[in-house]
Amino acid sequence: MPLQAFFNSFGYFAQAAGVTVAVSLAGIAIGFVIGVAVCIARVSGGRWLGGLGAVYVSVFRGVPLLVQLLFIYYFLAELGLDVPALVAAVGGLALASAAYQAEILRGALNAVPRGQGEAAIAIGFSPLDTWRRILLPQALRISVPPLINEFILLLKASSLVSVVGIAELTRVSMNVASSIYRPLEAYVGGGLFYLVINLGLAALGNLAERRLAAGSGP
Amino acid sequence: MLRSGLAGAATAGILLDGRRDALADDTLAEVKKRGELVIATEMQFAPFDISDNGTYKGLDRDLIDAVGKVLGVKVKYLDLPWTSILPGLEAKKFDLCVAPVTITKERMKRYLFTVPIADATAALLKRAKDASIKKPEDIAGKTVGGQKGTAQLAQLKAFAAKLPKPVEVKEYVDNNQSYADLAAGRIDASVNSFPNLAYAAAQRSDTFAVVTPPFGQPTYFSWVGRMGDKTLIDAINAAIIKTESDGTMEKIQKQWLGQTMSLPKTVPEPTI
Repeated sequence: MPLQAFFNSFGYFAQAAGVTVAVSLAGIAIGFVIGVAVCIARVSGGRWLGGLGAVYVSVFRGVPLLVQLLFIYYFLAELGLDVPALVAAVGGLALASAAYQAEILRGALNAVPRGQGEAAIAIGFSPLDTWRRILLPQALRISVPPLINEFILLLKASSLVSVVGIAELTRVSMNVASSIYRPLEAYVGGGLFYLVINLGLAALGNLAERRLAAGSGP
Repeated sequence: MLRSGLAGAATAGILLDGRRDALADDTLAEVKKRGELVIATEMQFAPFDISDNGTYKGLDRDLIDAVGKVLGVKVKYLDLPWTSILPGLEAKKFDLCVAPVTITKERMKRYLFTVPIADATAALLKRAKDASIKKPEDIAGKTVGGQKGTAQLAQLKAFAAKLPKPVEVKEYVDNNQSYADLAAGRIDASVNSFPNLAYAAAQRSDTFAVVTPPFGQPTYFSWVGRMGDKTLIDAINAAIIKTESDGTMEKIQKQWLGQTMSLPKTVPEPTI
């Protein structure tokens, strides 16, 4: 029975999958908030704030996530700031994902025709309302497919948080592989869990797209 | 085995070592005060460190529990990838690394070793059905895999250099991939310490067999601590020696290694 090992360790896998989902969702959610802030800074922050946003994106998109996690967990400890493993994991994922999400949102904003904003101002919308009712809803609709893409990428990248000692799905697959000397079964098991989780994420994305499309008009 | 790993990640530790040694505080007193010894290992190194459906098991677990009992503290276990363990030790994320580390000259300069906890002499694993390898010398002209940067791999290279035909050496990120390639037929043998291989062969006797005798120089596994933590390592050494005299060590060895072996009571002078 080739998948016997997988069924023997099902509970262990399921628990690790829960950790992967929890850490990733927290990273995505916090990353989204930071990402929106960075995006706004870049689009309308003026020279200084805009520059700061650009630097943020360059750094957190340019340095590998693995290095960021090691930096947060180990290097900050050297400087006297002892970051707990879970905070380092979620924080690392959030900071890195925020850079990508900010750029996705910026791209989506640029894709909203310029005339939309101008028309809103012309018929008397305040700047805040122009953002809230005209620009952001359209940008969000455009950004759903690339955002779901980013969420799925982040979920898979979350395998890296094992370097700070979090037993997530990939790590547990490796643990199982090394304790039963049957690597194929263990990794197929882990892969199946990832697939199921990501299919779920994609389904949520489709749902969001349909909901947001409701008001898009002809 | 040298699991050298992300040496780069340890750079932060290297840079600040001076400062750390200057205010080397007493980790032993701190451990006793908090009533808990925090250890880290990679739970992918059977029979020493195993994560059995999430429960930490193995020779190291039983031995460190016995040591904790002697010291009168609880033991907390962290499972970290090897790449994170030495940086984590230097960053004081935990008190002691109980992953078995082969004692070598190079490493003694940077870390404080405990007395040996097991034999680490290099040996070879082959496919059970492979009749062409009967003794270590039979790997001449064949392909052998091992974990990159380990002391066992270094010994394999030295051993192979003396054979009549060259040996092709394949380096892997960890031993488990080397075993997998051995099972798949991509390589003819895997090198690792004798206890590791004996356990692997016992777990999958249909697939693997150990080539006896071990070919390497006699070497030992120890645990490692920070350079400044001499009082802690001394206390742990005393506790390990106590488990050897009261029969606990023998019991643990029988369970995980299938045999007993006597170990040096001092940190031996490394031969490699």
